[in-house]
Amino acid sequence: MSEVIKKLIINYPYFAAFILFAIGALTVLTRSNLFKKLIGINIMESAVFLMFVAAGNIRGGYVPILNGNNPQTLFINPLPSALMLTGIVVSVSVTAFALALILRLYRSYGTTDLRRIYKMGNEVSE
Amino acid sequence: MISAISTNLPVFIIIAPLFVAFVLPTLAKRKRLVENLVLSVEVLMLLGICYLASIVLFRKDIPIIYQMGGWPAPWGIELKVGSLGTFFLLTIAIVSLPVALFARGNLTHEVGGKERIARFYVLYLLLVGALAGMALTNDLFNVYVLVEVATLSCCGLVSARNHPRAAKATFTYLILATLGSCLVMGGIGFIYIITGHLNMEFASRELSIIWQNNPRVVWMAFSFMLVGFGVKSALFPLHVWLPDAHSVAPSPASAILSGLAVKGYIICLLKVLYNVFGQTLMQAYSVHKILVLVGMVAIIAGSISALTQKELKRRLAFSTVAQVGYIFLGFGLLNTRGLAGALFYLASHAVIKSTLFLSAAAMQTATGKKEIKDLSGIGRKMPITAAAFTVSSLGLTGIPLFSGFVGKWNLLQGSMESGSILPISVIIAGSVLCGAYLFPVIRIAYFETAPEKDWKDPNLPQKLALILLSAVIVVLGVVPGPFLELANRAAAELLVLR
Repeated sequence: MSEVIKKLIINYPYFAAFILFAIGALTVLTRSNLFKKLIGINIMESAVFLMFVAAGNIRGGYVPILNGNNPQTLFINPLPSALMLTGIVVSVSVTAFALALILRLYRSYGTTDLRRIYKMGNEVSE
Repeated sequence: MISAISTNLPVFIIIAPLFVAFVLPTLAKRKRLVENLVLSVEVLMLLGICYLASIVLFRKDIPIIYQMGGWPAPWGIELKVGSLGTFFLLTIAIVSLPVALFARGNLTHEVGGKERIARFYVLYLLLVGALAGMALTNDLFNVYVLVEVATLSCCGLVSARNHPRAAKATFTYLILATLGSCLVMGGIGFIYIITGHLNMEFASRELSIIWQNNPRVVWMAFSFMLVGFGVKSALFPLHVWLPDAHSVAPSPASAILSGLAVKGYIICLLKVLYNVFGQTLMQAYSVHKILVLVGMVAIIAGSISALTQKELKRRLAFSTVAQVGYIFLGFGLLNTRGLAGALFYLASHAVIKSTLFLSAAAMQTATGKKEIKDLSGIGRKMPITAAAFTVSSLGLTGIPLFSGFVGKWNLLQGSMESGSILPISVIIAGSVLCGAYLFPVIRIAYFETAPEKDWKDPNLPQKLALILLSAVIVVLGVVPGPFLELANRAAAELLVLR
């Protein structure tokens, strides 16, 4: 048991990522408010970003800039952070698109609650 | 000049649609020019892809590896033009060209004015470019980026019709698809953390050495990938977004969404499962059994839900859920015959389902009605449309001489090789159910008297698109030759033990 706890403490960023991912997934699947669903998606994405960035980090490592004078040889891995820039761009565009859709839905249904929108059915005109 | 183009052809095939997509909004006021540009890009892609396919077919030994920017493999990004890639590229070109042709005659009343049409084409070309990228990429993170490009453009295409129902369907689709891509990104993260590579070949080599040290991480990666791509490709219990999204989209969009977009995610999953994890790991975690089981459930459940639908487009959308089941079933059989059958079925379903959606759209536009019972006697008033619908229904059911038959026949032989009875009976039952939900439409169309109304075949580009697609269905069914050869070779390459 103490072995597991020790591992959890050493790898706390992954543990945090897992908890964030669970919170996000739960929010997306159980909340019926459109904004809350969107926030849940964002939390989930942040969890995955955290996991990637934590994977690239090395404790005691230095910024990976190569110059002749720097005696340090222990660099952190910059690749996962660079990948997550792409991930953040994707997440921003998804958020923007979803907000536009929420606006459209609110204008035609007058509510931001998905359950109520589904209850209204297909009678709403253009 | 020519040699420069031919050596860089794999990149041009991906970049050409993406580049033209971003030029289109500046030309939005000139509708004809936009349409001609889209069509010419599609034709150029088809030519380039045929050239690549001929190279791959005649050069039997190794796939062409293209290094982006000239950086070699573990550092740079690779494009791999193998049998699987060219096979899917051919499918993309064959389907997306007629759909673009159909869109030319159809969009104005479904999407709206010039600006909206130009935006529709932007999304269309982005989707085609992303799918071409999925076919060729050999890098895990590129898979994620292309999947996201495809997902966002799919969502845009669904919401292209200016209607609250479309917005509702798009929102559900967007949320579920983003959930799926989060899972995919997580799965890629697990693979990267334990192997340190994003290139598929290097990751696979590393994984085959170290997987026993991290059994639980590999298990997580498997499940994240399966569920993530499963949501996106509408695998049965995860298909809830599909019927709404595919039936509410403008008809060229629903044709390409049901025909191609879903297949793109399936090809990505196939690459991850076979090129990264490999056959040994799949057997160790019994993923192949899960695939067969889920496929069988999808075939039966999808077909039965299709039977109960009254709207034609919704019936076709549910039928996609069932047909995706066949493809997953074939992926789980783990023999060359079954896998080749699944790949051929994937291509033939892409062609058939887009024909079905396009002809259904033509009927809906002419009659102004959505339900099947309102189509009585349409076969005599709209002969070409109804003929295309009939040909594609026969193809989907798996009647010999149509393309669906070749795929199903290989799938059947594959399941016999794997030695279990259940998949065989499910495949046959699925065909019967497929006939049960498609043939009533044909009966109503031909054998009931039509009301006195002025229904006519659609205009020339739409008719041409329908004829082209039906011709492809028949040609693939009668002479599957090179296409089946490519599928066989792709299956053999995927199943190589490493």
